[in-house]
Amino acid sequence: MTDSSTPSIVRKLIDQQLNFAAHGLQLKDDDNLWDLGMTSLTCLGLMLSIEDSFDVELPEEVLRESTFRTVESITAAVDAALKDVPAAS
Amino acid sequence: MISASAERLQQVDLVIVGNGALGLFLAHELTERGAGSVAVIGPSSSETGASQAAGAMLGCFGETTTESLRTDASRTRFELGVAAHDRWPAVLEGLEEFSLTGRPLLSAPDTHVVLNSIGAELDTVNYQAIRAALDEYEKPWEEVDPHDIPGFNPRLDTRSLSAIHLPAEGAVDARGVLEALERKLRAAGVHFVDATVNKLVSSDNVVTGVELDDGHVIEGGNVVVAAGIQSEALVRTVTEDIDLVPTFPGLGFAMIARRSGGDPFRSVVRTPNRGFACGLHVVPQGGGLEYYGATNRLVDSVSGVTWMADVRFLAQYSMQQLDERAASHEVVQWLSGNRPVTLDGFPMIGWLPPAGLYLMTGTYRDGFHCAPLLAEHVANELQGKPGIIDPMFSPTRAPIATRTVEWSISEYVEHNLAAWFETGAEAAPQMTTPQIAEYYRTRCVQLYDQLNIDYALGPDILWYAQGSLRGARRVSRYLRKHRGNSAPQPQSVQVGSGDAR
Repeated sequence: MTDSSTPSIVRKLIDQQLNFAAHGLQLKDDDNLWDLGMTSLTCLGLMLSIEDSFDVELPEEVLRESTFRTVESITAAVDAALKDVPAAS
Repeated sequence: MISASAERLQQVDLVIVGNGALGLFLAHELTERGAGSVAVIGPSSSETGASQAAGAMLGCFGETTTESLRTDASRTRFELGVAAHDRWPAVLEGLEEFSLTGRPLLSAPDTHVVLNSIGAELDTVNYQAIRAALDEYEKPWEEVDPHDIPGFNPRLDTRSLSAIHLPAEGAVDARGVLEALERKLRAAGVHFVDATVNKLVSSDNVVTGVELDDGHVIEGGNVVVAAGIQSEALVRTVTEDIDLVPTFPGLGFAMIARRSGGDPFRSVVRTPNRGFACGLHVVPQGGGLEYYGATNRLVDSVSGVTWMADVRFLAQYSMQQLDERAASHEVVQWLSGNRPVTLDGFPMIGWLPPAGLYLMTGTYRDGFHCAPLLAEHVANELQGKPGIIDPMFSPTRAPIATRTVEWSISEYVEHNLAAWFETGAEAAPQMTTPQIAEYYRTRCVQLYDQLNIDYALGPDILWYAQGSLRGARRVSRYLRKHRGNSAPQPQSVQVGSGDAR
């Protein structure tokens, strides 16, 4: 999986949780998801689906609400975690 | 700290990691049997352990809830407490001469359970469950007038309208018992090592000893990990591959206060177990001291912190529901401890896959009470004799299932309602209780969806998982790995009062 694909997958996973496309919302990379209806429980589901989709374990220190604020912040966390995954695994 | 000049302990027959109730009682049992050399390793100031903060009620029946006897597994767990209870008189008799407190270790001989109206329906059904269990096990109890309970002096708006007396369930002075145990064990030649274990040492998949935080290694023929909430991480230092039931710290807060006036409590006075927690209780400590407890919240990591909300909870409700004169009592000690809470709520007792390694933890609220019984069981197993408790508590079991998801959701709603009313939360006048319940139900259904699990969790774990991304991830990952391994046993599930309203 290349870094450039991360934001588009992140967007897809966000949309599964928050259903923006069905409501015609064009999500910008810096839109605050918490202002757009994300709750602690949808954030929880988003976290789990991101880890499953990217086959990655986010470090404990980024498991907080601010990490899941925008497409940008989520992408940054995912890319950082992907970079830390040893090539062999 | 260990003096560098002192002769360092190198080798013993058995290393016990953990100096709480489980570790000390195991050392005691083995010493009584003359079963070889024993080292107990743990920091002398274990300020985050559960034992040092325990109220140490010897109360298996006072702890009864509607869940206690609902399934075979829960009943087996409950009966550990019943069996443990019978061992305490002999335990105390053997410890009194080593006590330094100057007062009996049995700090209260009996218990009063009070039912007041602040704790919602959960209080009522658990109060009924206590009486039903006492009858079923033919234990003595009687209804009493709440006004006749010594020391009990609640505010009028939270007064109790019903109370029962349990003449055979009291409490011990937990800190006095631990101190007396240690003195007795030292006199019997048990080695106490005031240090933290950094990791387990193994060779060819056999655990051979422990490494202390300063690098010193102590070898043991067997190693028992009885380090409470620290146990899981310690076991993982030898291999990540052991499929342990996850444990979570159940951080609790209590305080010891010196009575400044009025009639003292002479018995344990408590409410039934309540939403997510163990009910409000006061335990006489002797010498004018009273233990007020306790809170419970599952947290990500072990700490000795006290939350301001917990201080408020305990102080306010003690004054309101137990004795309004507590307002002017002098707090002499703040206690916080981390209960070892397993994902399925059952203890973990048994050998682990690396040879030579035994685990005893996961006792949640009543490790102290059950310790003498569990010590006897573990000592048997260490000596190759038949155990005395059910093997179902093996640490590498699939999670024990006692409920369906639908049942679990209803339970979660009940506990939240209980906590809602007990904490004095106010809804808008037009909002009805079923509407509040609906909010919690919807939230819980969504939580199960997001966690993507089919195992039905207890209300405390659900509450934790909904509020912690770390917790949710741990719960979800573990249970998805075990999917399908833990279907509940419908034949043992009866319709009970945990049902939804």
